[in-house]
Amino acid sequence: MGPAEIARPAPLHDIPQLIVSTILLGGIYALIAVGLTLIFGVMRVVNFAHGEFLMLAMYVAFWAFSLLRSDPYLTLVVSLPLFFAAGWLSYRAVMRPVIQASHTVQIFTTVGLSIALQNVALVLWTADARFVRTDYYAAIVRLFGAAFNVAQIVAFAIAVAATAALFAFMRWSYTGKLMRATAQDRDASSLMGIDTDRVYAVTWAVGITCVGVAGVLLAPIYPVYPTAGLQFVLIAYVAVVLGGLGDMAGALIAALLVAAVEVVGSYVLGTSWKEMLYLLVFIGILIVRPAGLFGQRGAEALGT
Amino acid sequence: MTAYAPAAVFFAVAGLAPLVVRDAFLLDSLVLILIWGAAAAAWNIAGGYAGQVSLGHSAFFGLGAYAAALCSTRWGISPWIGMVIGALIAMATGFAIGFLSNRLRGPYFVLATIAFSQVLLIGASRWRGFTAGSEGIPVPFHAGFWTLGIADKRVWVWIVLVLAVLVYLVQVYLERSRRGFQLAAVREDEDAALSLGVPARRLKIAAIAVSAAFTAVCGALWAQYVGFVDPAYVFSVDISIKFSLAAIIGGLGTALGPFLGSVLVTTVETYLRAQFGGIEARFVGIYLILYGCALILMVRFAPQGFVGWIGDRLRRRSVAQATS
Repeated sequence: MGPAEIARPAPLHDIPQLIVSTILLGGIYALIAVGLTLIFGVMRVVNFAHGEFLMLAMYVAFWAFSLLRSDPYLTLVVSLPLFFAAGWLSYRAVMRPVIQASHTVQIFTTVGLSIALQNVALVLWTADARFVRTDYYAAIVRLFGAAFNVAQIVAFAIAVAATAALFAFMRWSYTGKLMRATAQDRDASSLMGIDTDRVYAVTWAVGITCVGVAGVLLAPIYPVYPTAGLQFVLIAYVAVVLGGLGDMAGALIAALLVAAVEVVGSYVLGTSWKEMLYLLVFIGILIVRPAGLFGQRGAEALGT
Repeated sequence: MTAYAPAAVFFAVAGLAPLVVRDAFLLDSLVLILIWGAAAAAWNIAGGYAGQVSLGHSAFFGLGAYAAALCSTRWGISPWIGMVIGALIAMATGFAIGFLSNRLRGPYFVLATIAFSQVLLIGASRWRGFTAGSEGIPVPFHAGFWTLGIADKRVWVWIVLVLAVLVYLVQVYLERSRRGFQLAAVREDEDAALSLGVPARRLKIAAIAVSAAFTAVCGALWAQYVGFVDPAYVFSVDISIKFSLAAIIGGLGTALGPFLGSVLVTTVETYLRAQFGGIEARFVGIYLILYGCALILMVRFAPQGFVGWIGDRLRRRSVAQATS
């Protein structure tokens, strides 16, 4: 069960469909990848629990829909502050004590968080795949000779808006400046009087908020189950490494590239092998150019 | 030799237990503790001693499990030979991974290994013609030692005990030999080690290859013992995490640690499976919640694991006695 399966209504034999599919898919991947790369860039931590926050956001959308009949896009209003708070709390409780620790410690901390969250979902809500079936679930829009699900287009539009907002925040807001300064040199910014601990908390919370929004947007398109995060986060890892860990603009372009690989791959090879394809691309990148397309060579060996 | 007394006691108890214990459930737990302990110890060779933290070791475990199962079901070859073939394939794969990802450190190496195990997972579940796909392979039972069709769990305890002791001895070698010291130097500071002329690259690759081979042997024995190979399980990230968790709880880079960690991890898991398995399968997830919390707490409060923590205590006490 993979992302492009539903993203690809039959019949499919034209290039416009592939291009628009790529762009729509890439927009959502970008939002997931940008949060991941932001956290890495500022905190130097790879968040292995990123996919679990995505899955939790999908569940939030699902429960809001099935219990309160709330439209998934309306849920965003609640889930945005909710995931910011969840991010802040999880930073305080879990990440803060290990922020200066070794890579091994940080890796296993986020991995531990990942399994714990995944199985909390399993125990609470069982392994059943659940669906958010909105009234406009089957609505189709035709453009450029290609057919598209409305949910996908809305998800794309909101994802792009959220990503743009994040870029603007990083570029122009004072907090964004502090985050960029900390990313460049945490010791120097600490000496300049920046409260790096607060910066990390905000960074982690913003990263989690990105994925919280993405999860709500994905809920009407893909089934929701406890391990749903894994497939998306694997794609996000590919995009993030390809774009250069910590490079937000790079992650954006790479997300589109990964979406293209996935869409074209499933078109040519069929959906069952396309995951294999992007994983092999991923391993290839890690071996040949681990610093990513635009990153500096050698970053991976410095262990930054 | 007092340093090895706890290990000697541990393995002696495990080896003698089948003479006294008749309870099938306890013997079954013991077999699993030893298999997972050996796998965690094999992971420890790469992750603990060489500092090559992998979360894709299920790749090697699965290769071993599939090699043994396919050899006996498809070609009628003894699973013992399948086990050796699996170990060789895993070793070669370990060489390749170590060689290709040699530059990668920390999170990059972790990502590469996860991706690799996922590739094998997808391959094994999609290549129906060869691996029977995602349904998995039931391993038929042919009575006899050569076919590993052994109903007596006591014999299983002794078989996996031999494996456990072997992996333990490899770890002891890494603690006592010149190569082991060099490897520790590479783990602590690769650049410093390189500048002293330590062949860092060769050592890391060798550690990964040896670790991979032993993990495959564990996989092969596990498949024959349990009688079923399920790609979604043997190649899952979950069991990679299980190896590392047992090693971390027991003590990263200590020889006995992974086995002690496995006692804890396996007991909790077996208990919850026995409690909830079947009726309310989702509650089995509780052990994974515990795993996750244990991981977070262990690396934060006792990164040296039980063995390291106890060792610390003993040292402090002897210092206190010496000074008073």
